[in-house]
Amino acid sequence: MRTTIPIIVAFLAGTLLIVSFFFHPETIWIGDAKEVILQWMTIVGGFALVLGVVSIVRVNARAVQRKSEGWFYKLMTVISVFAMAIPAMMPVTKESVGGSIFYSIFPDSWMGYLGTGSNSFYDWLFNYVDAPMMETMFAMLAFYIASAAYRAFRARNAEATLLLFTATLVMLWRVPMGEAFLRLFSDNLPGYINTYVMGGFNVAVQRGIIIGAALGAASMSLRIILGIERTYMGK
Amino acid sequence: MDIWEKLNTIDRRWIYLLMFLSILFPTIFVMKFPIELTPEAEQLYNAVEELPDSSVVMLTFDYYASALAETEPMSIAALRHMWRKDMKIITLSNIPLGGPTIAERVTREIAKEFDKVYGVDFVNLGYKANYVAVMHGLASSIESIFPTDYTGTPLSELPLMEHVKSYDDMKFIYCVADNATVDYWISIVNAQYDIPVGSGVTAVMAPKMYSFLEAGQLTGLLGGMKGAAEYEKMVGALGTATIGMDAQSMAHLLIIFLVIVGNVGFFMNRRKAKDAKE
Repeated sequence: MRTTIPIIVAFLAGTLLIVSFFFHPETIWIGDAKEVILQWMTIVGGFALVLGVVSIVRVNARAVQRKSEGWFYKLMTVISVFAMAIPAMMPVTKESVGGSIFYSIFPDSWMGYLGTGSNSFYDWLFNYVDAPMMETMFAMLAFYIASAAYRAFRARNAEATLLLFTATLVMLWRVPMGEAFLRLFSDNLPGYINTYVMGGFNVAVQRGIIIGAALGAASMSLRIILGIERTYMGK
Repeated sequence: MDIWEKLNTIDRRWIYLLMFLSILFPTIFVMKFPIELTPEAEQLYNAVEELPDSSVVMLTFDYYASALAETEPMSIAALRHMWRKDMKIITLSNIPLGGPTIAERVTREIAKEFDKVYGVDFVNLGYKANYVAVMHGLASSIESIFPTDYTGTPLSELPLMEHVKSYDDMKFIYCVADNATVDYWISIVNAQYDIPVGSGVTAVMAPKMYSFLEAGQLTGLLGGMKGAAEYEKMVGALGTATIGMDAQSMAHLLIIFLVIVGNVGFFMNRRKAKDAKE
């Protein structure tokens, strides 16, 4: 039962979407079933997010309870989850669900701080805590890339030399100072890099990768619809 | 230990310091190298420019805060360009963390410059899980996927949404992204619903987008901070991308310099080892 029902659901959902893609809703008996399935998908996606949150809280709360290594950071994770989620989910207006009860207890001046709008607590946390942290982590890549390029980017053989040469040209082309340097050799050089490297070799390789990945995705989808692939059920 | 051996074992903190200085120096002493336009950025600008005034367009904020330096200037320049033509803008995000909040902040900030009113000139739909389903669903009914906007106001109460029910009522989709959602805007929305899609993406994503651009599935492309700086130049409102180009130039040149020095050291050491063997 645990295996059969998910396979039937996957088969029906997949087949309906494929069939409805090729027919107009008014000319086929399934009508606008596609639209209904798509709405279900967004709802199921929402529940998947909730599952994710429950899972992260459970795993980290257990680690905090046992005081395992790094428990303090795990505690911060749990606090952060609730600090962002609770004010965002609180009633925003008196008319919203639970709003009349909430605002009979708390002052009306709290309205602006709740929800996800501008100047809300959630908005403040995102703009002044979360965003700077994410940007800092990403910016640190520049330092690691510089160090890695110095140590690992070696012209050991013909392929590596070709890669090194192309990468250097593209890096010069992508910045104004480098572009000005390239123009010392020829005014057309930046244009040639765009046309032949990005629009030529790059496109040829990218298309191969994209088509290969698409064929892989199509075959995997077919395997799931036909019940051959069952790893999504944890098997 | 000779100089080449020393170069091979250099402490990485020296490299970090060099990188820090290479970014700091142009931030203090502005150099202002000319920003040349690429055909793909011009194509995107022209596509928006050629749309009739007051057209309804969708602007997506499909990026996390980590990529703000590259993507936010694109969104800002796009908003300025669109509102200069009095367009009606619908924003949404397929990113749960940050996208809708960034859209809210950026659109309301730029709206003040043009005296645009929320609900009349622009609407932020926010985020809904499962972007493939969202993209398909918007083709038949926006309201079925987003019954309310980002702040919970029903779409039926927003004047702009009275006339905008699906992709059929939009002229263009301007997708700013730092992840694979742009692939789906192209393969689902452009390919299946025949609405032009233009895109601004991070520099690491740009090479992949060229294949869509060459195929005509993508109407114009901005690649990384350079692409954003190009758009700022075309719109005529220089912003953070233009300012950041000097720092990025120096960082790129430093990396190229380090690669050259690293390779010279590598070859000198290899030759020395070969000589010692013989």
